[in-house]
Amino acid sequence: MDKVRKVLILGLPNSGKTQICNNLTGTYNLVANYHHTTIDVNRAYYEHGGVLFELYDVPGLYCLYANSEEELLVRNLIFSEEPDVLLFCLDANLLKQSLMLGIELMELGIPIVIALNAIDETSKKGIWIDTAVLSSTLGVPVVESIAIRGIGTRKLKNAIEKARVPKASIYYGDIVEAGVAKVVQELPEDFPFKRKTAMLLLLNDRFLEKDLISTCTTDQYSDIQKSITAITSQFVGSIGKAIYYKRSEWVDQLSEKIVKTQQFDQRSMAKTFAKMSRNIVTGIPILGMIILITYFLVVKVAEKITFIMESYLWKPVIDKISGFVTSPFWWDFLLGSHGVLSLGLGGAVLTVLPILSVFFIVFNVLEDIGYVPNLTVLTRRFFSKVGLSGYSIMPIVLGFGCKTMATFTTRTISSDKEKYIAIFLIAFALPCAPQIGLTMGMMGKVGFKAFMIVLAVLLFTELTAGVLLNLIMKDDTKNTYLQALPAIRIPNVFAVLKKTYYRLYMFLKEALPIFLFSAVVLFTLERTGLLELTKRLLAPVINNFLGLPNDMVDVLLLVLARREAAAAVIMDLIDKGRLNFNQAIVSVTLTTMFVPCFANLGAIIKEIGFRRAMIAAFFITTSSILIAGALNKILLFFNHG
Amino acid sequence: MNNCTEADEYLESLWYINEKSQGAVSDICEHNVSRLSEDTRGGLSDEIIEKLVSENFIEIDEAGKSIKLTPKGLERARHIVRAHRLAERLLYDVMGKNIEDGACEFEHIVTMELVDSICTLLGHPKECPHGLPIPQGKCCELSAKSVNSSVIHLDELDIGKYARIAYVNCPNDQLIHRLNGLSIRPGVTVKLHQSYPTFVIECEGMHIALDNELAENICVWRESEFIDGSKLVAKTKKRKFPFLGRLKK
Ligand SMILES: [Zn+2]
Ligand SMILES: [Zn+2]
Ligand SMILES: [Zn+2]
Repeated sequence: MDKVRKVLILGLPNSGKTQICNNLTGTYNLVANYHHTTIDVNRAYYEHGGVLFELYDVPGLYCLYANSEEELLVRNLIFSEEPDVLLFCLDANLLKQSLMLGIELMELGIPIVIALNAIDETSKKGIWIDTAVLSSTLGVPVVESIAIRGIGTRKLKNAIEKARVPKASIYYGDIVEAGVAKVVQELPEDFPFKRKTAMLLLLNDRFLEKDLISTCTTDQYSDIQKSITAITSQFVGSIGKAIYYKRSEWVDQLSEKIVKTQQFDQRSMAKTFAKMSRNIVTGIPILGMIILITYFLVVKVAEKITFIMESYLWKPVIDKISGFVTSPFWWDFLLGSHGVLSLGLGGAVLTVLPILSVFFIVFNVLEDIGYVPNLTVLTRRFFSKVGLSGYSIMPIVLGFGCKTMATFTTRTISSDKEKYIAIFLIAFALPCAPQIGLTMGMMGKVGFKAFMIVLAVLLFTELTAGVLLNLIMKDDTKNTYLQALPAIRIPNVFAVLKKTYYRLYMFLKEALPIFLFSAVVLFTLERTGLLELTKRLLAPVINNFLGLPNDMVDVLLLVLARREAAAAVIMDLIDKGRLNFNQAIVSVTLTTMFVPCFANLGAIIKEIGFRRAMIAAFFITTSSILIAGALNKILLFFNHG
Repeated sequence: MNNCTEADEYLESLWYINEKSQGAVSDICEHNVSRLSEDTRGGLSDEIIEKLVSENFIEIDEAGKSIKLTPKGLERARHIVRAHRLAERLLYDVMGKNIEDGACEFEHIVTMELVDSICTLLGHPKECPHGLPIPQGKCCELSAKSVNSSVIHLDELDIGKYARIAYVNCPNDQLIHRLNGLSIRPGVTVKLHQSYPTFVIECEGMHIALDNELAENICVWRESEFIDGSKLVAKTKKRKFPFLGRLKK
């Protein structure tokens, strides 16, 4: 194959882009029923009719005007890659909002094909969209699809080959058109998409202005600036409003042409649940119930799974191996207290995997039905107390899913202060999904009361940190909170299972080598006596200040590698009775807060720079030890060890 | 046009020039500006300028080159501009008419009290349909909000009720883009789902959460137009956008 055709999938957030990409390429990327799940660009390939297609799945956006780094990323990708085809994923449920983005994409002059997605949901609502009219009006192929069930994929593959430059366009009036033409002339030769660029400059796009400064000569730049001021001053009032009114008018007319409704007020279960989950009176009990049920499932069900696996799978195999290995050194290496099999493989597969499986199923269901964003409604006021007014709530809530991903989504925050606070809080005492699962697993061995204490301490720490940061840091631009909420839907069992499978697969792929490797390292440290030395050196802190046994040094070393590995050891210690009630609480609190994991640290460095990331990491580590120490003293005071 | 009206037009023009020099977007009654400059250059309106000076509305420096509004003149100009922009709002929102035609006549005939009641009726809008600021009046400060107004703020709407958006006071430029992406714009019908702990509205099939400040800035027609949701499908009135593309010359 000599030529690769670049296809860029674009659409509103949460419109099914990733699903379509998965369908087309047969690869798998995590799909979630909330916004901003695709934070970086996923690339995948597929072949059709002897041509290789390179598919870019990018974050969703509402318009080409960049409000945040994330939206900028998408636009830069369009401008720099100059794709051969735009695959516009049109959310049938949000027709007008999608068309608003659509008209902007059409103005780029790139061949487009439209996937009209989620038509099953609109037809349930009694809304019919005339695809033929849509296609003929815009002059591009339109394919109906139900991405979540893989319907429409083959047609889409054929349609991509027939993508056309759309014939639809808006005439923005004499002043704007003349102005755009003028700016187009003044733009540097090699600037891509001049008409669109000119339009965005008229709308005062701050990111584009930066680009322009770096590529133009000062003369060119000031000429362009002059033209823009000239155009806007010819205008009565805000040019932005005027341009949007033209677009709204276009969208209204088009949707009037293609939409036929049979209106009836549908009051579905899903809608009622969405409503209840957002209302403070019912929402908080629902949240409480969710936590309780999850706790029960993770503790009881995972325990059962572990028990079954241990007695029917693990034990027989280990006994066999134990019989084979005669050399004491190798026996210790494989099956000793820091053995590759006992600690490494056993910890990962036997202790951690069952908990994560159960937890991921629960979490993926919550994600799939779209519960998570609704939490922001419930918690916004609470977050505002810690200086998080707007955009940062979603990243924080996402942080419960995965800290690394959440840290990347802080790109949507335009206020520096808020961004820093959010990143810090995500890294600090916020347990991510595997951690919540494991915390439940660990505390389940000691009791629900212990779990609640840990939760309370983490919450208190997080709040205090937020309030302090909010006080210390200078205020900058204020963010307006404006958040689109996805429709709650019945969970798709297949999708949930598939996602759980992939999450577990990713866990094993990433973590298992680390589990094995850390076992080897610990084994070596033990054999060389270095472990003993470290324990003796750290004894004052570990024993006296934190009130924990020496074994916790192993745990802290493991935390550096992978939290899940540390959790496995903690659970083992609890099982063996080496950690009592107080000590279990202290060690779990400590390991939840202790240094951010490598992936998260990497994300933090990427977002706020090395120096600030190191300061944050140092601060987090020290305070986690101090807080755990204080917690130890308090618990001793109340519980007498 | 009598002298009195003409004098007012000059004051208004001076306000626009002031506003423009402070970085505001544009002038509206362009005819006045051009005429003002013409007139002052050609010395045609000595009579009016004298009248304005004698009534202590403006000051002219000795060289006769620069004209300045006095505090009294500023107050008068402020009233005229306020009336003009409120009139635009009224004509545009209520009548759906070409806003330029009537507004300039309107501003000269209405009294302070009448302007205030129109302001109240419209829910104390902060900007005219062009996006230019409407100078505040006493009524706005007292914020006698909903009692007499047909346009209310979204945060005053009852939960579960539908309403059509009249206009949005847009606190900043960036927000225009975001609001439009979500289809929150004049003419669109929204339903208020909840107001605590966070406002949630439904707009073109999308649920959107927003903070109180934004909810206050979204102004909607009082329910009389829409009694219940079932009538909602009734097409939102076709809107013309007459002010688009108005040229200076
Ligand atoms: Zn006027
Ligand atoms: Zn105006
Ligand atoms: Zn008022």
